[in-house]
Order: sequence, then structure tokens, then C-alpha cells
Amino acid sequence: MANLKDIKRKIGSVKNTQKTTRAMKLVSTAKLRRAEQVAKRSKDFEDAINATLSEIATIIKKYKVGGIKGRYFEEPEALGVVDIIFITADKGLCGGFNYHTIKTVKALIAEYEAKGAKVRLRAIGKKGIEYFNFQGRKLEDAVVGLSSSPNYKAAAEFIQKSLSDYLDGKVDKVILIHNGYKNMITQEMKMIDLLPIDTSRFSEKEVPSVMELEPDESEKVLDSLLNKYIEFNMYYALIDSLAAEHSARMQAMDAATNNAKEMVRTLTISYNKARQESITTELVEIISGMEAMK
Amino acid sequence: MDTLRLEIVTPEGLIFDGDVKSVTFPGEEGEFGVLPRHAALLSLLKPGVIEIEKADGSKESIVINWGHVKVDENKAVALVEGAVPLAGASESEIAKKLEEAKKLLEESGESKQLLGAVEARIEKAAKLI
Repeated sequence: MANLKDIKRKIGSVKNTQKTTRAMKLVSTAKLRRAEQVAKRSKDFEDAINATLSEIATIIKKYKVGGIKGRYFEEPEALGVVDIIFITADKGLCGGFNYHTIKTVKALIAEYEAKGAKVRLRAIGKKGIEYFNFQGRKLEDAVVGLSSSPNYKAAAEFIQKSLSDYLDGKVDKVILIHNGYKNMITQEMKMIDLLPIDTSRFSEKEVPSVMELEPDESEKVLDSLLNKYIEFNMYYALIDSLAAEHSARMQAMDAATNNAKEMVRTLTISYNKARQESITTELVEIISGMEAMK
Repeated sequence: MDTLRLEIVTPEGLIFDGDVKSVTFPGEEGEFGVLPRHAALLSLLKPGVIEIEKADGSKESIVINWGHVKVDENKAVALVEGAVPLAGASESEIAKKLEEAKKLLEESGESKQLLGAVEARIEKAAKLI
């Protein structure tokens, strides 16, 4: 029989845990709201840059022989080196959030290595870095702190390394993986082929027939825009991932709070049972003692 | 009076959205002004100041470090990377913005000459507020 005091102590500790998880849930809810707003604000920029790129792509397609060319769009003939950039959280306690990303990355590594490509990993976020370090896999690049507080400049610096490798021909393909935010309760694995850029993402648009470009070299304008486009994609992935992290943590903490509640309930029942049992035993002892004295 | 719709967007959000009488951009190939019914144009921007004359006649300046602008008949959309609007309720706020703007420009890695010219303009703009 479990000791009364033991059970009581256990109930106390579970209740304390519950308090912590509930507080964490509230914190995550508040942070999620903020992260969501940041993501919403950035949406304007995304819409605008997509619209502009679509227009340029259409213009080039229409008026230039041979369509859009250039390093940014060329599909490599053979995959030599593939860069995988993945984003995980810096902190745990958010359910399967980090593990999902890691699992996807692992599957992707296996897939590309089976094709004979060399895979380089660029990691953002402590959890992913820790995992692959433990596995003894070399990371090309590892950044901590960026996924918990995304900022545009740092994101741009990070992606420029990959981009310049790509433009130099050292890398043939760059893939960006992160766990994205879908809504308050669902996250969604997002895998973007960052480079070469998938032109099908830019829809054809009605464009004014005369459009002046300044400087008057469409390639230069396009290059400069594409560069920012890549940077922005990286940044957006970071804020998207942060929102998803908070929503995952909110859910995980909600589940933990509920579990703790359930545990307190069952513990209370067994506590009551044990108390009744001990009372019964005492009564039996008293009565049998009295009987013996008769 | 004709007006032109101007939107200035940064990765962190929309910083200007409204009707304006005219606007001046620091274009890659030189500064240019845009009035309503401007011809369609797409231009890269270099570090400098966007000067806006709003529909009610008031003026506003925004310092940027990189961007591009797309002008349609009645609409101009500027995508910029970093931007500091030069405005504030008090002297100290404006001074703070001025510092921020200078820092933004210094980090853009442009030539000293250009920076000097832009900074002089900022100071002038700040005095007008």
C-alpha cells in the first residue's frame, strides 16, 4: 500500500508542474500572437516582391528571345553538391516540432545521397545542431539564436554564404526546410527549393506594354531583385518557423497541463482510498483490541 | 488635384501607405521625382532619402539603404530593405531618428562621398520638421 505521505507529496509536485506548464502555455500564446503579427506585416513585402518579379519575368519572356536565363534559373545537369538549410527551435518542450524537421532532413539526406550527390548541412537553431553533432555529422554552418529572434540582417548574411557558393558553382541546389505555421493548432512542414528558382512560382501577369527599366539592363535589375527575393525568403522562413514553434509549444504545454490535471485526479483517488484503508485498519485494531479486553 | 498612391514596404512591414502629390526617389542612376500619371517605370534605388509631399501639403522624409520602386500610372510601390522615417513628436525623438538613419547608411557600405551628401540632406530635412 502506498504511503499516505508519499502520495500527498506526489500530488503537490504534479500540481507544481501543472502551474509551470500552464504559465508556459500562456507565455507561448502571447508570443505566438506577436509572431503572427510580424509574419502578417511581412506578407505585404512578399506580395509586392512577388508581383514585381512576376512582371519582370513576363516582360523578359515576352520581349527577349530565349526567355529567362541566368544562373538563378538553370537546372543543374548533374547534382554535385546540395545545400540543405534547416531551421529548428533553440529550445525544446514543444512536442514533435524539432523532431519532425530533423526527420525530414534525414530523409532528404538519404534521398540525395542515394542519387550520388554530396549533401552539406546548414543548421539554424540549437536543437538541430545538437542532434547532428551527437550523430557525428559535420555541419557546414551552424547558427544559434537566429530562430528565436529572427532579424533581417542576420538572415541575409546567413543566406548570402549559400548564395555566393551557388553563384560560384560550388553548390548546385539549395533547399530550405522549416516547420511552418498553418494555424493556431497545426504546423506544416515546408520545403522550398530556394535555388535554382522555380519560375513557375511567378505567375504571368498583365503588364503595361511600355515599361522603363532603370538601369537599362533587365538582367541587372532582375539579379538585384532575385538576390533580395532569396534573402527575404530566408527571413520569412525564420519568422514563419518562430510562429510555428510557439504554436507547437502552446499545444504541447496545453497537453501537459491536461495530463497533469488527469494525474492529480487519479492520485487524489488513490490518496482517498489509502486514507480510508488506514482508517479502516485503525478501526479494526481498536475494535479487536476492545474485544480482546472483554 | 491629382494624387498618386504611394506604398513603401520593408520586410518588417508597411511603413507608408497613402496618397501623395509628389515623391522623389534616390534612383540608381540619379534622383528622380514622380508625379501622378508617371510613365510605367521600374528602378533600383540606392541609399538616400525618399521625399514625400503628401496630399495635404505636408512633407515627410524617409531614409533608405536599398530598394527598388515600381511606378504605374497612379501607383508607386517601393520595396526597401531598411528604412527610417524622419519624424517625431519631440526634438529628442527626431535626434534619435537622425542617429538611426546615419547608422543605417553607414552600414550600407556605400562610398563616403555619397554618404556625406545624403547626410547633409537628412540634416536639412530634419530641420524642417
